[in-house]
Amino acid sequence: MMTLKLARSAIQPKNPLLNVSRSANLPHVPGIRVGDYLFLSGMGPIDPRTGGRNHGPIAEQIRATLNNVKHLLESAGSSLERVVRVHVVLADIAHLDEMDRVYREFFPVDPPARTAWSMQLRFGNGCEIECVALVD
Amino acid sequence: MSLPRQVMASPLPGLDARRGFDRQMSMVVRGGEFLFVAGLTAVDPNTGERIRGTTMSETHQILANLRLLLEAAGSSLDRVVKVNVLLQSMLEAPNVNEVFAGFFPEPPPARTVCGACLPDGARVMIECTALA
Repeated sequence: MMTLKLARSAIQPKNPLLNVSRSANLPHVPGIRVGDYLFLSGMGPIDPRTGGRNHGPIAEQIRATLNNVKHLLESAGSSLERVVRVHVVLADIAHLDEMDRVYREFFPVDPPARTAWSMQLRFGNGCEIECVALVD
Repeated sequence: MSLPRQVMASPLPGLDARRGFDRQMSMVVRGGEFLFVAGLTAVDPNTGERIRGTTMSETHQILANLRLLLEAAGSSLDRVVKVNVLLQSMLEAPNVNEVFAGFFPEPPPARTVCGACLPDGARVMIECTALA
């Protein structure tokens, strides 16, 4: 079998305010492209207009986070329709139903495989969402 | 040419979270050469009803369901690359290991186990990535 060496490169959001790892000087990038796969870092409820955190109601945090994920995917030549796997981490598992309600606005048909659970999050965030997607 | 993305059909009605629990998720999605399986909790594969039990019995049920899902998608437990296990109590990790050993042939997949708060009182949740 022929072995191909896949290319590996960092991806960036078009909106620099959403590049939290850079602005906070954290040792990771927003995502990595390997071949035609995208592996995104955990995204939080960042306000795309200010780069600050949006700690409103959980529905608003989920919506902000998924909009940011969408932006990052589209910045890298992919889209929500090309997502295959999602991890949704909540600060409070009681927010699961509310999360699902907002989530389906973003993945209305043929949704990705999803795992949702709750554990401690940083910065007082109510959610953090990461995903694996295919480029178009 | 872009990599194929395909939502795989669930082999039994109980193994479909969209129907069973009105959750907006697919159980198995193919992306390129990989299958991505959603986080599974213990359910009856025919009815989708939750099965509450011990960590050991829930793990057993989940892995049996995982085998059904993978095989229906043309893969199998020996094609699993990575497993993530979420446990309500990390004290139960040895029990999970015991059940695992009975399901995965040598060499078993890479695995991470961590403690988490799980939905609906589940004691265990297992997700995996496998080769298509």
